[in-house]
Amino acid sequence: VTKITINGKAVDADPSKPLIHACHEHAVDVPMYCYHPGLTPVGSCRICQVEIQQGDMPPRIAVACRTPVAEGLRVNTEAPKARDARRECLEFLLKNHPLDCPICDKAGECDLQDYAFNEGQGEGRSLEPRRKLEKRKSLGDVIVLDQERCILCSRCVRFMEEVPKTPQLTVEGLGSRSVISTFMDRPLTGNYQGNLADVCPVGALTLKDFRFQARVWNLRKVPSTCGECSRGCSITTEVLRGGRVARFRPRFNPEVNGYWMCDTGRFALDAANAADRLSGALVRGYSGLEEASPEVALARATELLEDARRPGAGRESSGAAVIASPFATVEEGELLAAIAQSLGAKPAFISPAPNGLKDDVLHTGDPCPNRRGLTDLGFEALSPEQALERIAAAPLALVAGERAGSLLGEEALSALAGGARIVLFDVRRCDAPAVEVCVGIASCVERTGHWVNITGVRGRIAPARPAPSGVRSLQEHLQKLSQDLCAAGAALG
Amino acid sequence: VTHPTYLLDRCNLADSHTLAVYERHGGYAALRKVLGDPIAPEHVVETVKSSGLRGRGGAGFPTGLKWSFMPDPKKDARARYLAVNADESEPGTCKDRVLMERDPHGLVEGSLIAAYAMRAQTVYIYVRGEYRLSYDRIAAALAQAREKNLVGADILGSGFSCEIFLHKGAGAYICGEETGLMESLEGKRGHPRPKPPFPAGFGLWGMPTTVNNVETIQNVPFIIQRGAEWFRSMGTEKSSGNFLCGISGHVERPGVYELPLGISARTILEQHAQGVWKGRALKAWIPGGSSTGFLRPESIDIAMDHDSVKAAGSMFGTGAMIVFDETACLVHASEVIARFYDHESCGQCSQCREGTQWLHQIFHRIEAGRGTMADIDTLDSLARGMAPGKTICALSDAAAIPVQSLIKHFRSELEEHVRAGGCPLRKKARPERVGALA
Repeated sequence: VTKITINGKAVDADPSKPLIHACHEHAVDVPMYCYHPGLTPVGSCRICQVEIQQGDMPPRIAVACRTPVAEGLRVNTEAPKARDARRECLEFLLKNHPLDCPICDKAGECDLQDYAFNEGQGEGRSLEPRRKLEKRKSLGDVIVLDQERCILCSRCVRFMEEVPKTPQLTVEGLGSRSVISTFMDRPLTGNYQGNLADVCPVGALTLKDFRFQARVWNLRKVPSTCGECSRGCSITTEVLRGGRVARFRPRFNPEVNGYWMCDTGRFALDAANAADRLSGALVRGYSGLEEASPEVALARATELLEDARRPGAGRESSGAAVIASPFATVEEGELLAAIAQSLGAKPAFISPAPNGLKDDVLHTGDPCPNRRGLTDLGFEALSPEQALERIAAAPLALVAGERAGSLLGEEALSALAGGARIVLFDVRRCDAPAVEVCVGIASCVERTGHWVNITGVRGRIAPARPAPSGVRSLQEHLQKLSQDLCAAGAALG
Repeated sequence: VTHPTYLLDRCNLADSHTLAVYERHGGYAALRKVLGDPIAPEHVVETVKSSGLRGRGGAGFPTGLKWSFMPDPKKDARARYLAVNADESEPGTCKDRVLMERDPHGLVEGSLIAAYAMRAQTVYIYVRGEYRLSYDRIAAALAQAREKNLVGADILGSGFSCEIFLHKGAGAYICGEETGLMESLEGKRGHPRPKPPFPAGFGLWGMPTTVNNVETIQNVPFIIQRGAEWFRSMGTEKSSGNFLCGISGHVERPGVYELPLGISARTILEQHAQGVWKGRALKAWIPGGSSTGFLRPESIDIAMDHDSVKAAGSMFGTGAMIVFDETACLVHASEVIARFYDHESCGQCSQCREGTQWLHQIFHRIEAGRGTMADIDTLDSLARGMAPGKTICALSDAAAIPVQSLIKHFRSELEEHVRAGGCPLRKKARPERVGALA
């Protein structure tokens, strides 16, 4: 560490990071547009000007993002000259900015808007017409560019060069005629385009998907973990008042994903917002699956499991199969493992084949967010086909966890031989004839728990909205189930 | 007026650009001297240092000192480069062009000696794209020199190898900024790099690099051949040697003159350029290219050397004097200058990208008769927001300085424009350019 002084306070700073990083570390606000902690600093927007002084040298103004931290450096972010320099810079940045905040998706989380509110003059001096450029230029399937809002910070250009290492964006034209562009207007490609909307400090690059969907101050933001692959990127789940998930955004985690996430995870909104949720529960009766209260369904499940545990009973094969979804949390896995043990079964989880999305950035290609956690608990990884075989071979199968039904396949489940019987806990109903009990559970934006990612880092998932009424979490259901089984076992002696 | 000359001596000979004429008049003798004796590279650097040669590209930095910033080859074995800045584009400046067109071998020889001194084996000459004849003449000179084993591997059997590459610019002023030039040479957009790191440590492709102006390099063979003492005998104590003064504007005899540093601007104007044309009075003058700003006629007696012009509140720049007679409109001149910088800003830094455009727009409005008194203060504060040293490179300063000098020395002219609702010096209304500012 290097000792420096920020606004009269002696602090320790990391010499490998620029001065602006030290300022932010110590809660000293220095605005930034071209600087992004995850990208190479270029020092072009000039908004982070501060006054620095080294030794007996006279104080001077410098951009904090290109100033190395040196022993004894004294920084004054609020020196009148520094404030003036930043205000002047801000005025230049606003000279051609359209100020269409009322229709801008970025409003509310826009760095330019924030700083203009804090430090702006309130009134522009420019009498000249503002630059007229393209306001809705498509840059592919994910991103739309508003050239008028762009302040040419080049974060997007550097992001494409440095993170996915697929340089596709560039600055085109000279001086005040500069615009962000792709080569020959080709659409952007790759699985990391969504990050462009995050790195853009203004509303120039926005997500087509999120365009005009929400005002960001209406979003409830909850830190969570992405479940689309075994990387388990730290994310923020952002939900609208009605409970619809409006977007997933990456949350900084130096151990896992840095500042980024892939588009597969970012746009996994369909699963989160699926309408065909099973609320309550279904129990097979005389006329097929009939709606029942979760209590009744759970009682029936206990009965079936108890039955399967009882040896003999005129069957050749004994014991049950316990199959977890790869989305099952560590907590759910522990309960399932305990139940499996009491049933004399070996727990397993559904492990679909790698999905071909693997890359050198974040995506692992493995669709099991808790592979590591479940494996550590002794779960066996089974392909969907192997899992179906095991279900078919057992007198009873406990299949539990989000998306378990769809990962096994509704059709494959329906095609199971007559002897198979399933107790299913899932977010969606499954009408396969083998299903005896089907209980609705909370999804990963509605429940709490942990996944262990591919490198062994525990990621917490947290509820961003309540589950539909009458729906409880798998964890609660399993707790009840194991208590009931325990009680039944004790009664049995 | 007689003073010793050397730089342009060969330039007026017939076929001065050919190897035969060059060699007949002492060409490549300095290179032979350096490689033949041989003189140690550090001794060459010492000689240039003690000659007091200062860079002729505008900043006037001591050349020998700049060369000595190159890392010690014993401690740093990386490849190293010399880049010759032949992207002469500062408005008013056309001195390097004369040298390149008429004395291209002088540039080749100077480059080789400089490369030898800095132990560089590769030289890039970055020629302004519009300078076609310069490019062709240097290319021809290189071919001739290569044939005679003056360029390439094992030059003249000395064991010193040096390759010289010629690169044609694509018309951007910003590529004359040394780090923009390096980016452009690397095949990227000519966006200047923030300094530090400085080119001597991290230049072309991250290797130690020195960037020198054409005229600077052309001085080197003379210094080697005739000695530092001789060089110091010309010019002033702190700015030695002769410089090429390009004088343009409202003068009887515009042109490029070789003059000793420290000569008075009045002598240049009255004796060499034969005075303001048509017998008119001097209204204003620019000492060293458009970016150095306007000076009042009272300052015409200042000495043309780096320190004297600086003391007068301007800069020596490229030594390119621009003269305005009493009928000239300085607001219009400022509009033209502002338009240039608006067009040439690279667009990286906010102040420069937006500021150059804004200055241009305001000058255009004032000249067109739609200015207000508040505009004058806006101009002043914009210029203060753009300079000094607030941006990555000096283009922003270059755009701001002429504005500040106009307000300082000729504010009344701006006010007259506002009061008169247009240019009081124009009989006919200037047609408004449509669309150009959108």
